[in-house]
Amino acid sequence: MTEPTVLETSPARTVRRYETSPRTLWWDRFMNRFITLGGIAVITAVLGIFVFILWQVLPLFRSARVERLNVRQAPVGLHRVLGLDEHGRVAFLLDARGRLHFVDLVTEQPAQTYALLTEGETSITSWRYHPGSQELIFGTADGQVGRVELRFLSSEGPANRPALPRWTVQSLPEVGRRGQPVLAVDYGDSGTDKLLAVLQQVEDRQELRGALLTQTRGLLGAGQVRVAATFDLSHQITGRVHRILVDRSAESLVAATESGVIYYFVREGSSLRLRQVFRPFEDRPQAEIVLIEYLLGDATLVLSNPEGWIRLFSLYRPEGSAERRFGWIRSMPPLERAPRFYAASQRNKAFVVGGADQVRLCYGTTEAVRWEGRLGEDLQLGAMNQKYDRLAFLSADGRLHLMRLEDPHPEASWRAFFGRIWYEGADRPRYEWQSTGGSDAFEPKLSMVPLIVGTLKGTFYALLFAVPVALLGAVYVSQFAPPGFRNVAKPVMEVMASLPSVVLGFLGALWLAPRIETRIPSLLLTFLLVPLAALTTGWIWSRLPVRWRTWLPFGWEFVALVPVLVLAAWAGWVFGPVLERWVFVVRDSATGLEVADFRLWWPWFTGADFQQRNSVVVGFMMGFAVIPIIFTLAEDAMSNVPGTLRSASLALGASRWQTALYVVIPTAAAGIFSALMVGLGRAVGETMIVVMATGNTPILSFNPFSGMRTLSANLAVELPEAPHHSTLYRALFLGALLLFVFTFLINTVAEVLRQRLRDRFKTV
Amino acid sequence: MGSTSGFGQSVRAPGEPWVWFTAVGLTVGLAMILALLALVLVEGLKAFWPRRVVEISLRPTGTETEPSRVLVGERIRVRPKATLQGSDRAANPAHREWQLFLGNKDVFGLSFRYVDVADIAAVRQPGGIWRIERTEYGPLLGWPVALLQPALDPLPASDPRFEATLNRLVEEARRRRAEIRKLEKHDIGRLNRQMEELHLRMRQASSRRLDEGAYERQRQAWANQIAELETAYNQLASRARELRVLQEQAALVCRLADGRETSVPIGRILAWYRPNELDFTGRLGVFLGRLREFLSEEPREANTEGGIFPAIFGTFVMTVLMSVAVMPFGVLAAVYLREYARQGWFTRAVRIAVNNLAGVPSIVFGVFGLGFFVYFLGGQIDRLFFADRLPTPTFGTGGLIWASLTLALLTVPVVVVATEEALAAVPRSVREGSLACGASRWQTIQRVVLPAAAPGILTGLILAMARGAGEVAPLMLVGVVKLAPELPINTTYPFIHLDQKFMHLGFHIYDLGFQSPDSDAAQPMVFATTLFLLALVITLNLAAIGIRNHLRRKYATGAF
Repeated sequence: MTEPTVLETSPARTVRRYETSPRTLWWDRFMNRFITLGGIAVITAVLGIFVFILWQVLPLFRSARVERLNVRQAPVGLHRVLGLDEHGRVAFLLDARGRLHFVDLVTEQPAQTYALLTEGETSITSWRYHPGSQELIFGTADGQVGRVELRFLSSEGPANRPALPRWTVQSLPEVGRRGQPVLAVDYGDSGTDKLLAVLQQVEDRQELRGALLTQTRGLLGAGQVRVAATFDLSHQITGRVHRILVDRSAESLVAATESGVIYYFVREGSSLRLRQVFRPFEDRPQAEIVLIEYLLGDATLVLSNPEGWIRLFSLYRPEGSAERRFGWIRSMPPLERAPRFYAASQRNKAFVVGGADQVRLCYGTTEAVRWEGRLGEDLQLGAMNQKYDRLAFLSADGRLHLMRLEDPHPEASWRAFFGRIWYEGADRPRYEWQSTGGSDAFEPKLSMVPLIVGTLKGTFYALLFAVPVALLGAVYVSQFAPPGFRNVAKPVMEVMASLPSVVLGFLGALWLAPRIETRIPSLLLTFLLVPLAALTTGWIWSRLPVRWRTWLPFGWEFVALVPVLVLAAWAGWVFGPVLERWVFVVRDSATGLEVADFRLWWPWFTGADFQQRNSVVVGFMMGFAVIPIIFTLAEDAMSNVPGTLRSASLALGASRWQTALYVVIPTAAAGIFSALMVGLGRAVGETMIVVMATGNTPILSFNPFSGMRTLSANLAVELPEAPHHSTLYRALFLGALLLFVFTFLINTVAEVLRQRLRDRFKTV
Repeated sequence: MGSTSGFGQSVRAPGEPWVWFTAVGLTVGLAMILALLALVLVEGLKAFWPRRVVEISLRPTGTETEPSRVLVGERIRVRPKATLQGSDRAANPAHREWQLFLGNKDVFGLSFRYVDVADIAAVRQPGGIWRIERTEYGPLLGWPVALLQPALDPLPASDPRFEATLNRLVEEARRRRAEIRKLEKHDIGRLNRQMEELHLRMRQASSRRLDEGAYERQRQAWANQIAELETAYNQLASRARELRVLQEQAALVCRLADGRETSVPIGRILAWYRPNELDFTGRLGVFLGRLREFLSEEPREANTEGGIFPAIFGTFVMTVLMSVAVMPFGVLAAVYLREYARQGWFTRAVRIAVNNLAGVPSIVFGVFGLGFFVYFLGGQIDRLFFADRLPTPTFGTGGLIWASLTLALLTVPVVVVATEEALAAVPRSVREGSLACGASRWQTIQRVVLPAAAPGILTGLILAMARGAGEVAPLMLVGVVKLAPELPINTTYPFIHLDQKFMHLGFHIYDLGFQSPDSDAAQPMVFATTLFLLALVITLNLAAIGIRNHLRRKYATGAF
């Protein structure tokens, strides 16, 4: 611009001289876009954590889906039993004439039919099908009893290969009277013991007879079945029996009469003893029983009356009783009319029940209806395969309907996670977490409540210790300590915050816990003496003449306090056992001696147990993690209170304590509260300390001398073993989601409070 | 305010006792942290310091059927007797017991024993006792008797050449051990990998064979290669066997406390010293030697002996990978939030949300890492690229890469918050100056803002690294193991094994303290590892604090 001549001669060159190079512009545009896109992408990805976890959890709350796959015509006959093979490819039917039909449900193969009985001689009058062992028990009009074992060998191969059903008939020993029709029959086999029960019509009365069979096992496989004992139960029952059930372990016999009374017999040695008689629907106008079946595990009876009411009775030990009895633990919403068929899952506690055109899939543990449908047909029989993914129904017009069942998480429901459930074998409804058990028939107990309570308990004890220490320290450092001291205290506290929690957990569990186990009274005394000593010292100090007091400059009280507190802690430690001998004395029941031991006194006095790795240890060690957080944030909040306020208060003659208490703390209250919230969030999510320094038992108790299991510890303990996409896996994700949402909300509230406070200080 | 002399003594500031009361918070807090650091420091260093060996004569009890009334061992600690409860303890408060380390686990069965103080008749320091570190069964405490060498007469301990000969033999054995290690881990491992590779290729080819003849020829060639490798393998294996036999040939015979004699093959002896004859320098030498071993060697004996080098290395590699992942993304997000996004309620909400992720429990990130990285991403990668190895997962299981990414996600908020703070601290005038000079927006950020904020960003990164190094809970879900056979970076192609599981200092502490079969024996190692981890984390944090303070001072006195 200094040479106007140039401008005159070539204006274009000058403009170019001042033009930004296209590369710079391009680069600038590119980076602007890149940063915007990248920034948004990173933020979205980070927030996507929540979405992903939610996405993993959602399938838990989806109900079952059932869709029709195929319809086949069943062979003609009066069918009594419908069953499916493991994969749901082949259905079998047993008709009243004793013929066994196998129907391939996938291909158009013609049905194969086999006769179990000599044609025309007799007919089948009673039947039972056990899908778990795939065995059929039948009784005939002339008093024979037989057992058919079904095997479906090749149904696993390619879809177009014909299924080859195999079956063997075993005739069972005669226990009843020959020639008399069998009204009901059942058979239980535990491997060594077998129990056979037969109900027969003998002229105008009924006879219920049973036999205990044993089978010797020799070198050459199973040996001869031999009758060990027989019994006649007819005289113990009043009324006409119409259903009998024997459980899989051959331990018991249940008989239901037409008037709706259930007799429960238990095997004791080689005889059956009547243990319980009950009437499940006595409060209903129609108390008869139309359906009585076992749920998987044979500990729960599913019962229904003609109105369609469904009740579940389970074996449990009532309080004060040593015997297991049936008790009414759950109900299902009633059906429209009496159910006609029932099929129990062999994988879980689900069952299909229905009749006419109403079909329902229920889950026994949670009382949940997983699926309900109307097929528009008059359904007579129903079956479920062992893999819990196929259903089959036989309608009155002789057609077989094969349905696909998709229900990966039947155990899950809102109630299972947050409600009180009366589990099989329990004496009352409970909140319980026990994810794995010994047998297939185990009910997973997935209640989040004990874990939430454990989390709150750990947090409570951590905050109980950390909040006073942190807040007092923050008040002192921000209000009373010498001005430069803050620059020392804060880094120290930051170092404390950075201690890895695995270190804290290890020290708590292996160093601290065994040392304080025998010294609980000392600990209590120390906690009492330390603040008292400080207060007393302060009081005495303030009474001292001024010339003595000037020895200690303002703000250095904490140094003077060190010997006092050491002395107090030492006194607490030494006099703890004295206190123990004086207060915590309990009489030892074994020796009759007076024993002074807090570990024995606590259970004796409160009824709660005492563990070495307990909440006190966890609370103390979590203090290391929580104190610095609360301290730093609370100290910030109080330091940021405008100096004008403090100066004004001091100028008006308030003492430093009055200024702190009546001016600074109320002004910074929101910030202090937000510090507490952040500390709470940290305590809630702390994992390793809890995993290491407690016994990790999921219990519902606020006992300070027992452990707990928190949501986070539960994840660390169980997730590595949980199969991918199983119900347990997703339930653990639900725990993670709860933690995420809870801490996120708490932190957000804290953050919003802090920002409000900041805005307010700006205007002061 | 406090009274000054002018007002006389009657004027007292109200609430002074409460000021003292608040001082409790500070004193207790500082005492807690100092006590913890002191505890870890003392216990951690004690693990390396050689202890004196004591000989304890027990009082005869008569009822007990104890074979020996003399115990020789190191006194680990004294504690109140745990088995006594109640009034017994009250009646006899001085009831204490000693924990003795007896060593010789192969002979005695137990390495540790508790001795009631009341049972001790006499304690003395026996002279001439040796402590021999072995590759198996932990240390041996005993007196040397003789050196057995093949085809030579036994060399008694009184012989002047005894120590020199022993040292020579131990040194030879050490070299042989290194050779065996190289043979078995390196050479044979390489052959195994080559064979595995060939088998895999054969399997692949057989599953999608196109040309029968070519396939057959190829298969033959592979089979020949495998046969060659097998011959080489056999040669190496027999060489290793020969060396192993040599290792067992010479032996040192020692007399133990109870008079029994036991012989240790020289091949199993790592080092020895006389604990009761060592002066301060000697003990310091042993201390430093053990410290070196701890930092540079692999663990032995279910991690209770030896070193923690693989854990240090695993932690280091994971932290570096994490930093590489977290740095660009964290800075990108922060630059966007601070420099590009319109500062409205939405940006504020996003900022709060990102900040709050720092408060979400680390285990939740671990859960996410397992579900998303391991099962989802890893499963996809396996299906696409490693389908022929299925159902054995390659990336579909916990590994280094997933652990690093999980921790990167965990520390993104830390970096974002620190970077944002640093960007905000760059004065507006600097930016405006740059723009006024005609620099573009990106040029301003690149040349002016980012350099000015660099120390702050570095602070954030160091804090993230400290957090990553100390975090254990999420790693338990996504890839740490108690013992990894190989380092994640080694000389085998592709050199960095992102899919491999690795060892980690924090998990090492957890595993040693809680999963170890012999927790008494593991205790010194846990404390030593804890000391190392704490030193690492605290150093990183102090560095971050130092940089930040320096930065504050710079801006506080800045000329802008």
